[in-house]
Amino acid sequence: MADRRRINGPPGGTSAPVYTKYLAKDPKELPERPTRVRPNNALRKLFLKTGVTPSASGSAYLELEASKNPKSTTPGLASLSTSGLKLTCTVHGPRPLPKSAPFSPHIILTTHVKYAPFATRKRKGYLRDSSERDLGVHLETALRGVIIGDRWPKSGVEVIITILEGEEDQWWGDDIGGSNTSAADWGMMSVLSGCITVASAAIADAGIDCVDVVAGGVAAVVKDSGSEGISSTPVLVLDPVPSEHKEIVAACVVGYLPARDEITDLWVKGDIGHENQTESATRTSSYEQLADNAVQAALGAHRVLVAALKETADVKLGRL
Amino acid sequence: MSRHKIIHNLDLDDELDDFDGGDDYADGGEGDGLTEEDQEHMRQGTIDVRSNLPPTAANVTDKQIQESLWHYYYDVEKTVKYLVSTVEKAQKVSKKATAGKAQGGLFSFASMEICGSDAYTSLGSVGGRYLQQAEVVGGDALQFQRSSFQDFFHDTPWLNIPKDREAIFTPPPHPRGGLLGGSSEGAPKMSKLQALAAARKKKAQEDKSGSNTGVETPLANLKIKDDVPPSSNPATSHTALQSRLSKPTSRGFPTRKRKDSNEHEKVNKPPTPTRVSQPSTPAFPEVTSEVDQCEPSAFASTMFSNRPETSRHSKNNYFTLNIAANTSVTAANPFAGPSPDDIVIAAQSKANGKENKKAPKTNGEKRADQIAAGVEAIKMDDTPRAKSKNLNVLAEFEKAKAKNAANFVVIGHVDAGKSTLMGRLLYDLKVVDQRTVDRYRKEAEKMGKSSFALAWVLDQGSEERARGVTIDIAMNKFETEKTSFTILDAPGHRDFIPNMIAGASQADFAVLVIDASTGSFESGLKGQTKEHALLVRSMGVQRLIIAVNKLDTVAWSEERFREISTQVSAFLTAAGFQSRNIAFIPCSGLQGDNITRKSTEPAALWYKGPTLVEELDNSQPASRALSKPLRLSVGDIFRGGVQNPLSVSGRIESGSLQMGDALLAQPSSQKCYIKSVELDNEPADWAVAGQNVTVHLSGIEEQYLKVGDVLCSPSSPIKNISRFTAKVLAFEFVTPMQIDIHRGRLHTPGRIIEIVAVLDKHTGAPVGKKKPRVVKPGLVARVVVELDTAVPLEAPSRVVLRSGGETIAAGLLE
Repeated sequence: MADRRRINGPPGGTSAPVYTKYLAKDPKELPERPTRVRPNNALRKLFLKTGVTPSASGSAYLELEASKNPKSTTPGLASLSTSGLKLTCTVHGPRPLPKSAPFSPHIILTTHVKYAPFATRKRKGYLRDSSERDLGVHLETALRGVIIGDRWPKSGVEVIITILEGEEDQWWGDDIGGSNTSAADWGMMSVLSGCITVASAAIADAGIDCVDVVAGGVAAVVKDSGSEGISSTPVLVLDPVPSEHKEIVAACVVGYLPARDEITDLWVKGDIGHENQTESATRTSSYEQLADNAVQAALGAHRVLVAALKETADVKLGRL
Repeated sequence: MSRHKIIHNLDLDDELDDFDGGDDYADGGEGDGLTEEDQEHMRQGTIDVRSNLPPTAANVTDKQIQESLWHYYYDVEKTVKYLVSTVEKAQKVSKKATAGKAQGGLFSFASMEICGSDAYTSLGSVGGRYLQQAEVVGGDALQFQRSSFQDFFHDTPWLNIPKDREAIFTPPPHPRGGLLGGSSEGAPKMSKLQALAAARKKKAQEDKSGSNTGVETPLANLKIKDDVPPSSNPATSHTALQSRLSKPTSRGFPTRKRKDSNEHEKVNKPPTPTRVSQPSTPAFPEVTSEVDQCEPSAFASTMFSNRPETSRHSKNNYFTLNIAANTSVTAANPFAGPSPDDIVIAAQSKANGKENKKAPKTNGEKRADQIAAGVEAIKMDDTPRAKSKNLNVLAEFEKAKAKNAANFVVIGHVDAGKSTLMGRLLYDLKVVDQRTVDRYRKEAEKMGKSSFALAWVLDQGSEERARGVTIDIAMNKFETEKTSFTILDAPGHRDFIPNMIAGASQADFAVLVIDASTGSFESGLKGQTKEHALLVRSMGVQRLIIAVNKLDTVAWSEERFREISTQVSAFLTAAGFQSRNIAFIPCSGLQGDNITRKSTEPAALWYKGPTLVEELDNSQPASRALSKPLRLSVGDIFRGGVQNPLSVSGRIESGSLQMGDALLAQPSSQKCYIKSVELDNEPADWAVAGQNVTVHLSGIEEQYLKVGDVLCSPSSPIKNISRFTAKVLAFEFVTPMQIDIHRGRLHTPGRIIEIVAVLDKHTGAPVGKKKPRVVKPGLVARVVVELDTAVPLEAPSRVVLRSGGETIAAGLLE
C-alpha cells in the first residue's frame, strides 16, 4: 500500500553513507564487529520509566544500553555506531467503545507497534508494514491473557508502542560485501521482548487490572566467528544483540508471568533441530532449553519492571 | 529527444561512478594520492627550494614549500620568491595577524568536531557550539555556572519562550578567504574585534610559553584531515588548542573527547570488565542478579530527567520539558463514576417514570389488589391511563339483571327484502321516527326507488343506497319487553359473502328471509338462501326463523307459503337444523304485516301463529362464556375522537373486560390498555361476552391493529398459529387447494395440505379409505390447513373455507 498522504523521505538509510572503498583502504582501519563483553547469562542493563506521556492514561519508556566496542579505534562516525533499543509506549483507556462497535462483554485490546522512520538504519515508512503488524499481533497475544478483561465490558484499550531506536538485525559491516544477506529479522525478537515489558509497565501505569505484570525475555543460540571465519560451536546467550554475533542460529522470545509461572507468548525462530543428533550440542540447543533461558531473561526484566513500578508507586503515594 | 526523456534515460550508476572518481581526485589533491612522478618532482623541488631560500626564510617548513611548489607547479624560482615575500610580510605585519589566523583555525576545528558528534546530542552540541563561539568572540562576557546543557534547557518551555531565555545566535565567521598558500596581498583584513581578541590571546600565549613563534601554526591548524594523534605531536600549537578547548570545561561545559561518537558510552558507566571466563561452557543456572535498572541514556535523561528545580522562573506558567515530574500520577480509576450508559438509562427511566414497570395481569376476574398493584405502576404514554375501578365484572353483571341480549343476523338471497323487513321492524317499534322514514321515502322516490325507503334505515352508505343492495353488515338495536336485540343486517349479494360471514359469526340466531314471489324463491333457493343457511349452520347458529316475505305479491296465498315451508324445511333439516328450532312466519316487509302486528289482510287470516317480534322474543338467550379468558374480535378500528386516538369495536366472544384492563393484541403481540368502554354509545365500566362493545385503547399504535385481530387477556393469550386441523362440511368438491380462511372479520389465505379422512356425519367416525383425494359436497371431512401467515385462532372456533368467491366448506377447528 503506497503512502500517498505524506511526503516521504527517500527510501534509503537514515545515516550518512559509508563508502566501502574508503573503508577497505587500510585493513587495520576497518571497523570491527562489536563484541559481547557481558557474560552469556547477563542481560543488558535496562532503563524503564513510567508516566512519561501526560496525555495518555498510562505510559512507559524503556531503553537498553548500547553494545560497545572498547577496542575500536576507528574514527567515530555516527553512522558506524551501534545503538541500543529505545521504546516508548502509551496506553489509552479503558475508554468506552464507539457506538458503532458491537457489544463486547470484556475489554477490547488493540495494539499498535510502529517503528519511527529513523529508528533503523534503513528508513521505515509511516505506514505500518507487515513486520510491524506482526509485532503488534504478538504483543496483543502476550497482553491479552494478562488483563482481567471482564471488569470492563463495552470498553477498549489501545496500546501504542513507538520504537525510537530499533535493534539491528545484524552488524552493519556484514552487509557491506553483500555476503551473508540471510539475516532474518533477529532484531525483531529483542524489540518484541522490549515491547512486552514496556507495554506491561504502561498498562500498570494506566491502572488496568492485571493478573500479573508480564515481562519479555529473549534467548538465542549463536555462533561467533572463531579464528579466521570458522564459526565456533553454538552457544546459548541471554538477551542477544544481533550485531555482536556472526550468526544467530535460533532465538526465542517469551512473554512470562513470574507470579503464575505462565507463558503468554512464545515465539521461536531458527533451526536447531538437526544439531541435536550431533555431539555435545545436545545440552545447549534444544528448543526447551531455549525457552527456559528466555524465561530466565524475562525474570531479569521483570525485576527491573517491578522496581520501576515501585518507584512510580512511591511517587504516587508520596503525593497523595 | 525531450528533456524528460533525457532524465528518464539517465544512468544513475554511471553518474555515481563519475562522482566517486571525483572523490578520488579530491583525495589525490590532498597530497597522499600523488603519482610517483609527482612525488619525485615534489621531493626534488623541495630540496631545490630549500637550497635557494635566503637565511631570513630558513624557518619555512617543508610543508609550506611543498604547498607552494604544488601551487606553482614545481617552478622553483617562483616558489622561492613567494616564500621569501611571505616570510617578510609575516614579519612586517603585526602579531595580531598571526593570532587572527590561529583563531580561524580554532573555529574550523570546532565545526569539525560538531560534525563528528552523535546525532542525539546535536541539540546540545549545536547550542554548545554557538555558545562556545560566543564566548570566544565576546571574551569572558558570559559566565554561566552550569553542569551541563541539560540543565541549561532544564526548564525551557516548548512554546512561548520568554524573551530573556532566547539565545542570541552569532553566526560563525567564515573561513579566511584567499588562496591556501597566500596571495600576493597576503592575509585578508580582520575586524577590529578579531584583532583585539587575537592580541589578547597572543599575549596570553606568550606569557605561557613564549617559545612559540606562531608562524607555521595557522597552516598546521588549517589541515582538514585530523589524523595525527594529539600525543604524537606535542610541540605544535595543537596543545594550545587542546588547552583552550578544555577551558570551557572548567566553566561547566561537559567534557567531550573528540574520538567518541557515541554519547551513551559516556553516560553509562563503563562496564566492569567481567569478561566471559569460559565462553564455550553453556551453563545457565540463573540470570546474574546484577541486571538492574541502568542509568538513562543522554536522550532519556534529556526527556525525562527529574532534577530539582533551579530555574529562574516559576515553572507553573509553562508546559515544560521535564514532563515526567508533573505527570507521573495518572488518573488511577477511570471507572469510578457511573458509566455514560448508566447515566442515560437513569435519566430515561426518570423521565418516563417506569422504573418499576411490571407486566400487569389484570382481567375482570383477577383480584382487585393484584390489579391495583400492576395498574398503579403503569404509564405508557402521555395520555393518562384510565384507572381501573377493579370491579368484579361477573358480580356486576349478575347485579345488573339486564334484559336478555341477543344478536341475530338477517340472511337471505339478494333482494329478498332483508333490509326492508328490518327497516319496517325498526320503524314499527319506533326506533326510527316517522320523519326520518318520510325523508328517506322522499329521497328514494327522487332516485326512482321508492320501495327501498325502509331499507335505507339500515343501508346508510351512499353506494349501498345507489345500488340498492346492502354491502356491509349494518347494525342496529331494538328492545322488546323481554329482550334487547341487536340486528345484524347481512348483505345478500354473493360478492359480499365475507361480510355476511363476519356478521353471522356474531349472531346467536338467524332470521332467514325468503322472497315468496313467483320465481324469486326458486332462484333464491339455488342461490344465497341455501348458501347462507349452510353458512350460519356451520357458524354454529342453531335457531332459525324463516320470514317468508313478500307474500302480499302472491295475495297471501297459503298454498304458496306451505310449498315454500316444505321445501325449505326439507333442505334445512338436511343441512343439520333441528325442526323444532325452525319457525316459519308469513309476512310483508313493505307493508308490515305479521312483523310487529298481526296481518289485517283478509287474505292472510289463515295464519294464526306469532308475529316476527313475538317469535324473536321466544328465542332462548344463548349461554355466554363469561368465565373464559377474554377474546374480543376487532370488527372495526376508528378514531374515537380527540381524546381517544384509537378505538375498536367488536363482539366479546368470551370473558369480560373493564376499564383499565391490559389487553394483548394478536397477531402483533402488542400490549395495550383500555381507556374507556362504550356499550351502545353509552359509556360503561365493563362489558361481558356476547356484547358488542366499543373500546378506546391507549398504549398502542394503529399500525399494530387491523380488522380481524383479536384482543385477549395477556395472562392467557390466544396463540398465533399457522397450521390447524378442522372438521369441515364440504359445500363443494374439496381437494388439496388454495383457499381463504374466514373467521368472523378475519380472513387469510392458506391451503388445504391434507385431507385426513371423510367422517360420518352423525358419529364422527372416519369412513371410507384413508387420505382421500377429494371430498364430495355434503360430506364431512377432517382436513389440515396451512396458513401463509400466523393468525390468532384457537380450538373451538368456526371457520369458513372459501375459494374463488365460493364457499367450499365450513367447520370447526379441532
